Amino acid sequence: MTILCVRFQLPPMYEAALPGLLGLLEEFTPVVQALPPDGALADLRGAERYFGRTALELASVIRVRALALHGVDCVIGAGPGPMLARMALRDARPGLTRAVAEDEVREFLVDKPVVALPGVGTRTARTLCEYGLDTLGRVAAAPLSTLQRLVGARAGRELHEKANGVDRGRVVPNAVSRSLATERPFTRDELDPGRHRRALLSAAGELGARLRALDKVCRSLTLTVRYADIPHSRLRSSGGTPIATTRTRTLAEPTAHSAALTEAAYGLYEALGLQRARVRAIALRAEGLDPAERASHQLTFDPVDEKVRRLEEVADRARAKFGPRAVMPGSLAA
Amino acid sequence: MPGFTHLHTVSGFSLRYGASHPERLAERASGRGMDALALTDRDSLAGSVRFAKACAKAGVRPLFGAELAVAAPATPGGDASVRRERRRTPVRGGAFIDESTPRVTFLARDGARGWADLCRLVSAAHTQEGLPLLSWDANHADGLTVLLGPDSDVGRALAAGRPDRAARLLASWREVYGDALRLEAVWHGRKGTGPGSLRLAARTLGFAAEHHVRPVLSNAVRYADPGLGPVADVLDAARRLVPVDPAKGLDSGEAWLKDPGAMLKTAERIVEAAGFRREAAPRLLEQTQATAAECLVDPEDDLGMGSVHFPEPHLVGAGRRTAQRALASRAAAGMVLRGYAGRRKYWERMHHELDIIAHHGFASYFLTVSQVVDDVRDMGIRVAARGSGAGSLVNHLLGIAHADPVEHGLLMERFLSKERVVLPDIDIDVESARRLEVYRAIIGRFGTERVATVAMPETYRVRHAIRDVGAALSMDPAEIDRVAKSFPHIRARDARAALEELPELRELAGEKEKYGRLWELVEALDALPRGIAMHPCGVLLSDASLLTRTPVMPTSGEGFPMAQFDKDDVEDLGLLKLDVLGVRMQSAMAHAVTEVERATGERIDLDAVPEGDPATYGLIRSTETLGCFQIESPGQRDLVGRLQPATFHDLVVDISLFRPGPVAADMVRPFIEARHGRAPVRYPHPDLEEPLKGTYGVVVFHEQVIDIVSIMTGCGRGEADRVRRGLSDPESQGRIKVWFAQHAAARGYDAETIHRTWEIVEAFGSYGFCKAHAVAFAVPTYQSAWLKAHHPAAFYAGLLTHDPGMYPKRLLLADARRRGVPVLPLDVNKSGVAHRIELVSDSSGGKGATWGLRLALSDVHGISEAEAARIAEGQPYASLLDFWERARPSRPLAGRLAQVGALDAFGANRRDLQLHLTELHRGARGGRGDQLPLSGGRSTAPAGLPDLTPSEKLSAELGVLSMDASRHLMDDHGTFLEELGVVSARRLREARHGDTVLVAGAKAATQTPPIRSGKRVIFSTLDDGTGLVDLAFFDDSHDACAHTVFHSWLLLVRGVVQRRGPRSLSVVGSAAWNLADLLEVRREEGLEGVASRLAAAEGSPGGDPGDGPARRRLAGSDGRPAPAGSAARDPMEDRTIRMPTGYEMHPWADLRPAGEGPAVGRKLWHQSPGSAG
Repeated sequence: MTILCVRFQLPPMYEAALPGLLGLLEEFTPVVQALPPDGALADLRGAERYFGRTALELASVIRVRALALHGVDCVIGAGPGPMLARMALRDARPGLTRAVAEDEVREFLVDKPVVALPGVGTRTARTLCEYGLDTLGRVAAAPLSTLQRLVGARAGRELHEKANGVDRGRVVPNAVSRSLATERPFTRDELDPGRHRRALLSAAGELGARLRALDKVCRSLTLTVRYADIPHSRLRSSGGTPIATTRTRTLAEPTAHSAALTEAAYGLYEALGLQRARVRAIALRAEGLDPAERASHQLTFDPVDEKVRRLEEVADRARAKFGPRAVMPGSLAA
Repeated sequence: MPGFTHLHTVSGFSLRYGASHPERLAERASGRGMDALALTDRDSLAGSVRFAKACAKAGVRPLFGAELAVAAPATPGGDASVRRERRRTPVRGGAFIDESTPRVTFLARDGARGWADLCRLVSAAHTQEGLPLLSWDANHADGLTVLLGPDSDVGRALAAGRPDRAARLLASWREVYGDALRLEAVWHGRKGTGPGSLRLAARTLGFAAEHHVRPVLSNAVRYADPGLGPVADVLDAARRLVPVDPAKGLDSGEAWLKDPGAMLKTAERIVEAAGFRREAAPRLLEQTQATAAECLVDPEDDLGMGSVHFPEPHLVGAGRRTAQRALASRAAAGMVLRGYAGRRKYWERMHHELDIIAHHGFASYFLTVSQVVDDVRDMGIRVAARGSGAGSLVNHLLGIAHADPVEHGLLMERFLSKERVVLPDIDIDVESARRLEVYRAIIGRFGTERVATVAMPETYRVRHAIRDVGAALSMDPAEIDRVAKSFPHIRARDARAALEELPELRELAGEKEKYGRLWELVEALDALPRGIAMHPCGVLLSDASLLTRTPVMPTSGEGFPMAQFDKDDVEDLGLLKLDVLGVRMQSAMAHAVTEVERATGERIDLDAVPEGDPATYGLIRSTETLGCFQIESPGQRDLVGRLQPATFHDLVVDISLFRPGPVAADMVRPFIEARHGRAPVRYPHPDLEEPLKGTYGVVVFHEQVIDIVSIMTGCGRGEADRVRRGLSDPESQGRIKVWFAQHAAARGYDAETIHRTWEIVEAFGSYGFCKAHAVAFAVPTYQSAWLKAHHPAAFYAGLLTHDPGMYPKRLLLADARRRGVPVLPLDVNKSGVAHRIELVSDSSGGKGATWGLRLALSDVHGISEAEAARIAEGQPYASLLDFWERARPSRPLAGRLAQVGALDAFGANRRDLQLHLTELHRGARGGRGDQLPLSGGRSTAPAGLPDLTPSEKLSAELGVLSMDASRHLMDDHGTFLEELGVVSARRLREARHGDTVLVAGAKAATQTPPIRSGKRVIFSTLDDGTGLVDLAFFDDSHDACAHTVFHSWLLLVRGVVQRRGPRSLSVVGSAAWNLADLLEVRREEGLEGVASRLAAAEGSPGGDPGDGPARRRLAGSDGRPAPAGSAARDPMEDRTIRMPTGYEMHPWADLRPAGEGPAVGRKLWHQSPGSAG
């Protein structure tokens, strides 16, 4: 139980404070992995010996410092591996660090629902529950080959190991977030393609600006359109997940250029051919982020492209100086 | 000031377009000083009859018309530039509804010819695929006036600023309609040049002057009163299936039925804008008036109200003789055939009836019905006549009615007499499953030009209104669903009042404000038609002129021709309607008979089962009549228990007694007292002994009233029937009383006798029951009970297959188990498409053999007919792979079959089977071949997955089959119920009157029927595996119980036992809990948790049960329910205490439209159990 999983209780919209809090963790160990927006994993294997305290004691120190220095409370789970630390976190409360010791892993896991396991999404969980494997104990008892038949060879093996408490993950310092997303909700069921396109334009503009600020480019773009409809089968139970359509397109070349992103987003949207669909939100996600210096760019003889890019650069600087709404496409200004 | 007539007015019969009822429009037109009003609904004439009647009442002359979408004339070479590219199919949400076709208003001008043209045009518009559209080729008529308004192609060209194009289009209209063409100017105060703008109106006027076409002014009315614009917006949204979007332009709010003064002002503005002098405005109004004056269609003469058209005699087997001659000879042949030839009484009766028929000239009608019945019988379909037609000997002789009217004392006069000038009415019952075949046969026999089905408008009630308004207002669908389902099926206009008053809606009422305008709009939609469907039983039969008198459209599913009028309109129009009712019980019995023949080879002729079978009456007297026709409802079981029928006549009386009339007249108790010899039989006068003898001096039947009146006054039965009909109207009742007293006194009866007799007749009102109906009903009642007594397995197989009853299938299954019929699980190797019977143990060959009930594939959720047939055809299957490959079930279906154990024969447990199926499915899709992990060739290898637990199996059965097939669902909860001290249904029979008991079970049926006392009573039936418990909740317990009762499936109820006879008892509930919740608490927190839950509930009002006399009195007397509606669905009790005569229905009594066929309401019920569940 040398891995800590920390979740800072940040007020919403204060993700900016996370880097500072990560710095706090880095005072104890260099092996810290950010889990944006508000969490982190820390490997204290070296720190225990260095500070002469157990991981649990260090957890208290971390909490005190976070409160004293940043005024932020935190919840901490501890376990022998990152997976178990994460799962332990769910049982923890502020002031009560949940620690899972090496020898109590099995008891800890046996009654947990499958969905509690990191890496098991709703879909896998649904598949497993359909076959009566609703707790990790039952998953652990099922033959490996059966699990592999259920969820695939690799996922089955991982599931089998995880359910048996074998935690092969490790804390990867400085793991970067690999995608950026933004969403434009509508206040009512929106059918107007004009307003859909405005939402796309603004979302693509925002993604581009954020990418350029990080010096990244993205390789592909994903459009998610959320509808007001609810799957009929789920109307009966309370609530239900609204239906959404998701489409991904790989860009011709990795880019952070707003115009290119907008064009791709429009293309994705047009392909849906929506008419009467009641759209409640449009979300865009830039995926496959790479450092900008590694991106290649096809030069053209058309001077327009060049001009637009230089304009964008200027606009970025203006925004940096006068705020994000300083420069924007005319159709969004209205 | 000149008058004004609105020539372009739509009502709610323009589906999801018009916002006012035709009655309201007529009323307003009269109120605002207009002498005439046109009704020009979109694509429909369905409102015409109501409109004509409302106009007659309001003193307004009706004009008839329709607004139709008209296709453009085909131009040589085509107009390629206009053709739009095909749009991509949307991945979600569907395409827009295309309403872009120009619309034109047609008004019937020249009397009957105009009406016929209108009918033809409307019918022609409905021959297209998709939305109604009149093709240019069909667009011609001599008797019509045509208004080209802003939405017509001419108007659109003008709006687009293309007078040249408008002139070209006008030319083609002129070619067809010549002088009958008008240009319609409309001003709704809109900006721009679009429809409703001042500029378009002015352009129209100018264009009319230029091209010498007469202009008219209209207001394109969509609603009767100002302020209904938002309602029109909601209707637009509901029609186009999009939300209301303020940015896209809302209704102007001006399209109401403006008075002449306001229209004159409008005319002035338009005239000025068109550049004429102001004085031209009255001229515009005069033109409009002149156009209205030309349109002369008389509702009586031209619509054909009041005249009758029968199919031509040569079509109904009369050959070249007259219909009357043919009828007489066939009736005489029937006398010989049925062996009445030697009996004078029968001959006299026959000639008497033939006289009456000849008097009215209805002979072809009888021949027509007889022809239909013969055709149906030739198809091998069970058919029976019902209704007063069974009282006619001629009907019996022609083979239409089964029972002998002379033997049962049925009167011709109740059906038809010289004094009565209405269309006779014979209803025939056929097997519901084959009803459409019957329709096809009728259409095939008489041809589409003479036959049409009848329409049935579906109107907005509260749930639908909430759904449509919510969707228009962009509410969250889950929220809409929740709000809609909280309501019982009440009228939309009562939405807010219901929120205030109904205990089960209290929670919703708390957040009422959150929904803003929703409630107002919901109420505004009240009773507007939202769709049109085929009436489940009416068929119009006419001569070849049908299509000139009624507009016809194809039905959506089967493509039958359907008249746009509903059943009341049809009667007013004098169209002959034959009711062909699909009766599920007939199908169920037919299935049972076929099953018996298939399995045993024994042929049963149900129509020839022996009379007076002791086993059958034993079964009926035991009140275990679940599934038997007409006598299965809680109230009927109670009545049967008290009445103890022993003969067919007793059944007839039983069915007749279970009506509002007999209950109101306090006939049930004296009847039962007299029957069991506890009270003497009394007659008001010895002369009346003859008609009243059969019912111990109590008046039960219409026929008895007819006889009493006829004997006392000597007026003859025909006149007596007219008098009987007059009794329901309080005004004429007074006159009849005087008349009755005079004539009876003249016949020498003393005042006391007259007074007593009149009291009986008066109390009888018009409620009672026609004996002919009752006899017709009692036949299938006896037949079904006979089947239940002698062939129980086949009987249940029939019931489960055709689902005729008021109870859910799982209850029938529980009944089967109780009666010792083994229920065999679903098995793909043994189950058929329908439920079957199977020999379980064959002791001593034939006699004493036990037959089991094998569940059917068709009950599996989501199975298609083709899939079920394929599975049944491919039997037997050797292995899972074999099944998968040959039966080719869909993946979800195969999964469901595995869940309920239909694949257990292939080895492995149910979850392992699921896994194999998934892999087979994946393999088929991925083309990985058939790598199936099989061991030992046939059976499937286990995969080590945990099997379904017993409770999971049960839940799978309920989910997939909607039945607890393997065992009763309450069986699992025995321990807990024992802890609570719950009394089982079986033990409840020994409970004493007044005991306070706890009962528990699965809710089988919940109703809040109309109660004569004006109070709302919730009736519910619980099923706990040992039997049924009937519950009643009176209104003082509603605060505490209503919500729980409506919204829970498993109930625990505390109540007081009410006992009214050895076999009749019910529990008056005072507290109810959701048993499912309690079971969960018991599981998780133990008994202490349950105790704290009960303690919490006890704090709420209405807790204490036994609080004594007040409640008992209430239960026993006041809240006494009275049955109402059709025979099939009278669910209520019938304790007999005096009650007010006024029929005051509780506003929340959960009334569904009475519905002719018993199948209709029941089906509905089955789909949404409980009133608010």
